[in-house]
Amino acid sequence: MSVDAAVETKTVFGSEVPQPPQHGAAGGVMRRLNFGTGLVGGIGLATIAGWITAIITPSSASSDTFAPMEPTYVYLAVLLGWFIGFMLGMGAFVGPLRWVVGRDITHSDAEYMAGKDLGRKRYWKYTTDHKVVGIQYLIVAMLVLGFAGLLAMLIRTELGMTWTSLFTPSFYNSMIGTHGIAMIIGMIVIISGPLGNFIVPMMIGARDMAFPRLNALSLWLFVSAVPMLVSSMFMGGIQDGWSVYYPLAAQAPPGMLGYQLTIIVFAVSTAVASVNLMTTILTMRAKGMTWSRTPIFVYGIFAASVMGLYAFPFFQYAQILGLSDRVFNTSFFDPLNGGSVWLYENLFWLLGHPEVYVILIPSMAVALELMPVFLRKPLFSFNFAVAGIVGVVALSGLVWAHHMYMTGWAPAANYPFMLSTELISIPVGFLVLVAIGTFWRGTAWTRLPLMAVYAVVFNKMIGGVTGVYLSDVPADQYFHGSMFVVAHFHYMLMGAGLFGAMAGIAFFFPKMTGRFLDERIGSIGLWTAFIGFQITFMSMFVAGLQGQPRRVLNFDDQFNLSNWISTIGAYVIGIGMLIFLSAIITSWRSGVLASSNPWGSKSLEWQTATPVPLENFPVLPVVTERPYDYGVPDPYEAELDSTDQDLMEKAGTK
Amino acid sequence: MKKFLVTFLTVLLGGAIVAGVGVFNAVQGEAPPVLVANVVGTKTAPSGEEMPHAELYLDVYPNSSSQVPQPETKSPINNVLLAGQPFYHPSTSLQVPSNSLVTIHFRQYDSGGTIYNPYFAKVHGTVDGKMKWNGKEVSEIKPDEVGHTFTVHQYPESTQPYFFMSIPLPMNPANAKTDKMGYPVDPQIISVTFMTGEAGSYVWNCEFPCGDLYQEFGGPMQTRGWMAGTFDVVDV
Repeated sequence: MSVDAAVETKTVFGSEVPQPPQHGAAGGVMRRLNFGTGLVGGIGLATIAGWITAIITPSSASSDTFAPMEPTYVYLAVLLGWFIGFMLGMGAFVGPLRWVVGRDITHSDAEYMAGKDLGRKRYWKYTTDHKVVGIQYLIVAMLVLGFAGLLAMLIRTELGMTWTSLFTPSFYNSMIGTHGIAMIIGMIVIISGPLGNFIVPMMIGARDMAFPRLNALSLWLFVSAVPMLVSSMFMGGIQDGWSVYYPLAAQAPPGMLGYQLTIIVFAVSTAVASVNLMTTILTMRAKGMTWSRTPIFVYGIFAASVMGLYAFPFFQYAQILGLSDRVFNTSFFDPLNGGSVWLYENLFWLLGHPEVYVILIPSMAVALELMPVFLRKPLFSFNFAVAGIVGVVALSGLVWAHHMYMTGWAPAANYPFMLSTELISIPVGFLVLVAIGTFWRGTAWTRLPLMAVYAVVFNKMIGGVTGVYLSDVPADQYFHGSMFVVAHFHYMLMGAGLFGAMAGIAFFFPKMTGRFLDERIGSIGLWTAFIGFQITFMSMFVAGLQGQPRRVLNFDDQFNLSNWISTIGAYVIGIGMLIFLSAIITSWRSGVLASSNPWGSKSLEWQTATPVPLENFPVLPVVTERPYDYGVPDPYEAELDSTDQDLMEKAGTK
Repeated sequence: MKKFLVTFLTVLLGGAIVAGVGVFNAVQGEAPPVLVANVVGTKTAPSGEEMPHAELYLDVYPNSSSQVPQPETKSPINNVLLAGQPFYHPSTSLQVPSNSLVTIHFRQYDSGGTIYNPYFAKVHGTVDGKMKWNGKEVSEIKPDEVGHTFTVHQYPESTQPYFFMSIPLPMNPANAKTDKMGYPVDPQIISVTFMTGEAGSYVWNCEFPCGDLYQEFGGPMQTRGWMAGTFDVVDV
């Protein structure tokens, strides 16, 4: 085929490839923007916006509900100023603005944005390469989890020091609320963000995500939301738990604005990321990668994206309406003026429960993904695993009101919701059974990732069994609002979710960094955290069964023992997590170098070089078999062998 | 060896960060200084028993002024968010002796309105079910004339000695004569006497919504130093 001389071409793997027409010159201000300019823009615009708002708002301004409005307006202006300034400074609006003025991004600009030849600088920029975004997600998610973990340690310290009170009730409440929402956000991101971005495109044989610029946008929206959340602690905090029910939220100090804007921005980030992942998985799978040849981890990420996409908008609407109540004196959630607190509760839990599966399903999927590799046998009933994931997605939106049995919202609806909640334990059970079935008669190559899977399966079973009690209306009347509930959801979200993330990070670490995660230090950290986890939350189950209410700073002496033990366990978890963190840091810097496929895995991401080249594969792969056929004879290979032998016999060469 | 050193330093640094943030916030969140009810003699209980008698003096102000400083706090944001809000003075951390008769004398300088729950317009938990209001003994006041309440109650699920007391503090009329600081020249004077049992830790708060935001239950209503505090019964 001849190439028109007027069309610019580029040599790609020895072939002249026509390039799309360029509009305008490459380069410009976008090449000077980075995280530093983002910080300057964000802090600068926040300062200016806050200063102007403080000047134009009369200090005597108050709302219909007597709240002094100056701090609220100034804080809102600061948050909005930060968000716009940071995104401007990062260069998030460069692409759309250049498109509007007819100077779209050139091919050279696109390569620059992908981080080509930028070295480590690319991690500090609005980079579109999915691998860079994956690493960025990993760092930010670890920072968020570290911050939430710090609050967890302080909470447990307060509860463990039963002879004295360290913090004021307001600050304690603020720590509880901020810890809750920060952990939820961090846990949602810790697998889908780093591994969904870094691994999934390679796993399906694609060169990048479907929308690379949206990929960068989702990451930096997430980053911009983090300071908003942290800042709320300096404005009176989130004192009403992570659910911030009304009217408590309406009585809360201005820190509530930080929560509301964090959720609004994070929901946009999640929607953008979900659409991107779903489109990538649906349209960019390698030739031959049928659904039965698609790895289970890809199903897990796809399922989490679907649930995040439909569930987060409910939460986002709730926060938009709540912000409107606070700032504009509307009354969506004010019962005295025609609003409904139940409206809020429903909107909240329409995200609140699917969110559990947004965390859990990727965690289980990463466990199922790596088990065949280390057990050297096929996944036990791939179809059941897929059915489990599909079943969870289908039922995830029908269980939210089991969190509202005791609110009096709709007593007649309790039993249908009890039924749907107990039903969802069946597909979740499928996943556990597939894991156990895969263990059965497997030859375990017990490396660090598989150790983490043992922890996931154990914790998942404890969390699942205790969840069945809470789904039961009569039992929930007793357990509701107690530490039993806290222990249960920590088993699900942390026990299964975070240990799953540890498994995933340990497994994919060689591909992401080119080095092994230190097995000895990593496993010491893992098992220390696991033991601490059991101590902490088993004793919390006991406190809950004794009747200790959750979210209460001062409790009766009868709960002292279980709280002391729980606090000791929490310190052990903290030490374990820090040891695991040090394994990540030291291994990343100077760990043992890994080959491109150190685990001998059959899936595509391990078939390309390490470090992974910019567009992943020199030639896009073609998939000819299922990803977990370890130890299964290849029928085509056997056929070829026999034919070869026949030919050789006929030719007399045998 | 180097890796284990890095691991040890990581754990040490993590522990130091947790401890540092904890200590910083614990200092920031120090409770107001404890106001101790001193034993001033003995008094006869309704049962005829002679018991130690202690006294406490508390004032309720509608806002701070140069004469009455805002509650002591090390949290700068509270000084901004709660400026101009009512508070108990001189402290909200109270300590009284166990197995004693305790008299609290209130001077109430704030205005008021109608309380949502008329239960809290009644006197609960005093030795005779009454309080002395401007020299008169009453067991309740009109629900639409309440300024604040002083309500002591238990922790949830508590097994410590039962203790509950609630005193309505009447409001000052809108046309009350005020001094140059805006405080009524003749505040409402209330005194109550109650009996303490064995030692225990309790909390107290005002049940009349006098704060800000939704139904005025925000701000000072939730903050120790303003309209909530601790009430410790101790062995002396």
